[in-house]
Amino acid sequence: MSQTLFEKIWESHVVVEKENGPSLLYIDRHLIHEVTSPQAFDGLRMKKRKVRRPDLTIATMDHNVPTSKRTLQIIDQTSAIQIQTLEKNCKEFCIKLFDMNSPYQGIVHVIGPQLGITLPGTTIVCGDSHTSTQGAFGAFAFGIGTSDIEHVLVSQTLWLETLKPFEIQIEGKIRNPFAITAKDIILSIIKNIGTDGGIGTVIEYRGQVITDLSMEQRMTICNMSVEAGARAGLIAPDQKTFDYLRGRKYTPKNYEDLVELWKDDLKSDPNAKFEKSFRLNVDDIAPQVSWGTNPAMTSDVTETVPSPEEFAKGDEIQQKNVEKALQYMDLKPGTDITDINIDRVFIGSCTNARLEDLIEASKVVKGKKVSKKVRAMVVPGSQMVKKEAEKMGLDKIFKEANFDWRESGCSMCLGMNPDILKPGERCASTSNRNFEGRQGAGGRTHLVSPVMAAAAAIVGHFVDVREMEIN
Amino acid sequence: MVIKYERDNIDTDVILPGTYLKIHDYDELATHAMEGIDPEFHSKVKEGDFIVAGKNFGCGSSREHAPIALSHSGVKAVLALSFARIFYRNSVDGAFLLPIEIDEDTYKNIENGDELEIIIEKNEITNLTKNQTYRIKPFSEIISKIILAGGLFKFKP
Repeated sequence: MSQTLFEKIWESHVVVEKENGPSLLYIDRHLIHEVTSPQAFDGLRMKKRKVRRPDLTIATMDHNVPTSKRTLQIIDQTSAIQIQTLEKNCKEFCIKLFDMNSPYQGIVHVIGPQLGITLPGTTIVCGDSHTSTQGAFGAFAFGIGTSDIEHVLVSQTLWLETLKPFEIQIEGKIRNPFAITAKDIILSIIKNIGTDGGIGTVIEYRGQVITDLSMEQRMTICNMSVEAGARAGLIAPDQKTFDYLRGRKYTPKNYEDLVELWKDDLKSDPNAKFEKSFRLNVDDIAPQVSWGTNPAMTSDVTETVPSPEEFAKGDEIQQKNVEKALQYMDLKPGTDITDINIDRVFIGSCTNARLEDLIEASKVVKGKKVSKKVRAMVVPGSQMVKKEAEKMGLDKIFKEANFDWRESGCSMCLGMNPDILKPGERCASTSNRNFEGRQGAGGRTHLVSPVMAAAAAIVGHFVDVREMEIN
Repeated sequence: MVIKYERDNIDTDVILPGTYLKIHDYDELATHAMEGIDPEFHSKVKEGDFIVAGKNFGCGSSREHAPIALSHSGVKAVLALSFARIFYRNSVDGAFLLPIEIDEDTYKNIENGDELEIIIEKNEITNLTKNQTYRIKPFSEIISKIILAGGLFKFKP
């Protein structure tokens, strides 16, 4: 019978299957960070249990980590405790940890692929919703909560309800690949299918546009699958995938044999049936800017902030959602997106802090200065990204333009470390969530691509990056 | 008693803002529940209360702190048009609260302050204030087994 890629990965990992019921799935890789794991380790200790496969469990610290100099002490005591707790737990349970001073430290979803931990056809979990990022390699990668983390630590398995395969076909030709990025594609998708469009599904992104994207761009797309409500997003592996993972720190020794297996098997069969389907044509797509408090509240940069009535199209609750969102964002309907002034710029996060993101943003910034009204920062996704970027001189380009060049971590994506917005501050951010208070209580987030964020930093308000002069 | 929020996409960042994820004490977490959209929540919520909300409740992060904070505030169930799946699983895995899916009519009928009785075995909600009865969308097999067992670690397939 024809199967989708997701169904193939699922089937090959079932340990126990109940008729019409849940399945117990084997988990190939378990990634851990300091925020969602402490109670899971407490649970193990309380029940006197061990970690079943410490060799398949890898930890790093990213959410609490300050992005200032690594030699400085962590001032926030609660953050320091959470970081020390992870160190203690990893030591006690023999888990490999990339700590703050490790050259491999970084945002967990950025380092997974960089270290070759992420592999096609595998199941990968982490106590973090953006684990979906790693679906770009043809893995079934998804976020779990703390109880499930404990379950995986103890058994290397997880009970899961069946998920439905959802096909998103991306067609057409991007006219200006510099200005129209993977971020604009995924924001367009979410704008169309809604933040709940993918509930109960695993999305497979397909089509020539996806094939043409680099691995890093594919990760941006899969990263925000969860913002469309999907449990995971994935892309069938191809030569680009295999080339990306070759020769990395944890790439398996029999890699070439594995590639031969993956090549034939890891794709949806021609007649595979998807439960749901959506098509996006990218011919006329524009750079995207979110104006509301969820990622579906997004417009083209050439448009205006919509009115609640216009956006809700008769849906009463939606109209209220938009009224509240505009109030929080302090925006009036009819305002040109390009008239929205910003105070801060954040280029970072597991969505857009990989090397290519920084290269593209640096092209906008080169030879220019950040607007005097704006404070802008670049936070590489990992120490490896930072080092490679510095080798290319990107740090100098950003610093000369008055960007802050920081150490790696989740930073201003989520308000858990010193990088936060003040109440009322407005930020052009390359992260994934524009929820109320996400970047700090009262902060206002606009989601954009790295080139759009860089352009906004220079001009002081949103601008169509297609019209910028690039050096 | 019902505390109703007429909005969709109530995300984990407003249910429990990120800055509080460093707190390990569950009762202290509870003092910050819903702080992102309703700073009064902690002072008004009582043991046995229900939250009613729109679509995609609990979207966003995988933090189990979100259902924990609600549960330790006294919330026994969230009634919503739909739920984000990680929040949904987290709620039942730790036996924190019941995530109950309701239809649009039920959503419209239940008002702030209504007294409800939920009978899971019958998939039924009785609105004691209005003397109405509503149907609950039944739980899937695994979810109902985990709920009846009292959480993931007590569940025997």
